[in-house]
Amino acid sequence: MPGPGRICSNPTVTELRTSETKLEFPYSRTTGPVIGAFLAGLREGRVLGIKGSDGRTLVPPPEYDPETGESLGVDLIEVGPLGTVQAWAWVSNPLPKHPLDRPFAFALIRPDGADSAMLHAVDAGDSGNMRTGLRVRPRFKSEPTGLITDLEAWEVAE
Amino acid sequence: MSAESPARKEEMVMEHLVSLTYRERLTPSLNRFVDRILEGELIGHRCPSCSRVYVPPKGYCPLCVVTTSAEDEVQVSDRGILTGFTIITPVAYYGQQATDPFVYASVLLDGASTPVGGQDITGVAHDRIHTGMRVRAVWRPPAERRVEGITNRGWGGLDAVIESFEATGEPDAAPEAYKEHLF
Amino acid sequence: MAARDIAIIGYAQTPSQRDAIQSEVQLLVGTITDAVTMAGINRREIGFTCAGSCDYLTGGPFAFVSNLEAAGSWPPISESHVEADGAFAMYEAWMRLQEGDIDIALAFGSGKSSPSNPAEVWAHQLDPYYLAPLGADPVSLAAIQARALLDSGRATERDFAEVVARSRARATANPNAQLSGAVDVDALLAAPYHTAPLRRHDLPPISDGAAAVIMARGDKARELCSRPAWIRGMDHRIDPHQPGVRDITTARSATMAAQKAGYDGGPLDVAEISATFSPQEIILREALGLPDGTEINPSGGPLAGNPVMAVGLIRVIEAAARIIGGGADRALAHATAGPLLQQNLVCLMEGE
Repeated sequence: MPGPGRICSNPTVTELRTSETKLEFPYSRTTGPVIGAFLAGLREGRVLGIKGSDGRTLVPPPEYDPETGESLGVDLIEVGPLGTVQAWAWVSNPLPKHPLDRPFAFALIRPDGADSAMLHAVDAGDSGNMRTGLRVRPRFKSEPTGLITDLEAWEVAE
Repeated sequence: MSAESPARKEEMVMEHLVSLTYRERLTPSLNRFVDRILEGELIGHRCPSCSRVYVPPKGYCPLCVVTTSAEDEVQVSDRGILTGFTIITPVAYYGQQATDPFVYASVLLDGASTPVGGQDITGVAHDRIHTGMRVRAVWRPPAERRVEGITNRGWGGLDAVIESFEATGEPDAAPEAYKEHLF
Repeated sequence: MAARDIAIIGYAQTPSQRDAIQSEVQLLVGTITDAVTMAGINRREIGFTCAGSCDYLTGGPFAFVSNLEAAGSWPPISESHVEADGAFAMYEAWMRLQEGDIDIALAFGSGKSSPSNPAEVWAHQLDPYYLAPLGADPVSLAAIQARALLDSGRATERDFAEVVARSRARATANPNAQLSGAVDVDALLAAPYHTAPLRRHDLPPISDGAAAVIMARGDKARELCSRPAWIRGMDHRIDPHQPGVRDITTARSATMAAQKAGYDGGPLDVAEISATFSPQEIILREALGLPDGTEINPSGGPLAGNPVMAVGLIRVIEAAARIIGGGADRALAHATAGPLLQQNLVCLMEGE
């Protein structure tokens, strides 16, 4: 029960009604040659990265270097197929907009050959199966829709 | 191994639906407005400083920046002046439900200082609608009145309670009566 | 004219509430009026106004425009808005005052988190291609950050719980806090995980609230306030957005913002920092270079009340209040934006 505010219209109000509004924006976002190529790679079951200004391989591939701002071109590099969990969290109660509807880990995963980590889900089944350093393998959707979630989740590879 | 740029056109566009839901309690003054409108009465708050009447009541006067409360409640008429309007030809877009051209009008109710916007005008051909027209509310039957569209931010309409406004047949109001209350 | 010649002379905040019955604008009407009253000025003396809020939080494009009704925008005023916390609005107003042609500025921040699900709203501040479609929410991200911090050996889960216990204990003296009280660290550690390794108490509450500050320059500040909180420096910096390209157990942009704001690592009477999740207090203490023994978040901090879009400005207010009324001589306030401490603002204040 909220306490009295400094502005109180009427101390004997009827029970306050609730309004419900929904904001919906159906974006069609152009992807460009870098992001588009990355998403195309997922459709083919591949994870792609790009060389940054200092020669390190970044995944997912940015269009511009995060340190120098330099344009990184459009030549993508295949990384993986396996990856290593760098850090993780156990989502005991998934939300409707999460990638999985059963408990899973959100994690930073560094694909083999990459020097950065990508945020994604690990479908580990149980938190006891998760640890930093875990080796994981990507699982791709059989019917891709052109989103990062075409990589449905990573799975335990050990 | 380097990847080629996406060959397929559909890979160059990513479909992303952003969908967010907001459930907010009506403020006490707006809740009171809803109580009364369901009973066929329109109320507002009169600013104790400048005497302007705000419909629906916001709980404050934006010009004086003073709070208003139930003590400042006044009833206004369900008749008034059409202060401005446009005829909108619907364009198809996500969420668009209108198909035929419709009226979007502001009505300054007798006793109010702020018009209510987004009103439909019925009973008169679109090309005969004009500012200054005297109009009155066409209320839905009490059992059909719905208030879910009314929000604190004022974006919801009253159309689920007041279906539209229609001409009263009275002579037009003089511009002086509404020129400072257009929108 | 010196940038150092600008001070906070008035402020106000609403209590942090789980579900305010007033609209966001109503919250601001009272808050701005109280700040103006404390400053002892007439509203018309304000030469520039800057507001901080987030339309995605409020629930509609251009929602921020109606907040101006609380500032009294007729006759027309000179104003600006940032889609950010009120602390960033204060930064813009501070910059504006340095032009030298106006003496007084108002900055405010507001937000009601209660009408929406923060987990869904804040997923949309993320990269729309690589992150947002995953629905990655702030709690999940903070939990990953917590795990990384534990893995680094620089903190333990007990350290997290101790941050929470301190926050709740300090908040008992704060009439504006939402969560307060004495809590036992072992009892906290016995609670189940919410999103491992974070427990529910490691997360901030969901809060509605608003805050406002009045700043004045030079002699005007001295005329209006017996002990202004002089802004010695203010700066904000931003890190890369993708969490996988930086070390999320540090906040490099916070370190840089502190340096650029002129903080030299010396003694502080108080530091109010926007550690929204308990592990972030440990990260920020290190990143800002706060000396051991610094009193951190005597207000209880965001863990005691988190009205997003006002919470950073409230840190500034809590720090300034201890200078203006409390005898503190040197205070640091910190605000943050973006996922995982991506963007950080530091404000360094001193009594005369």
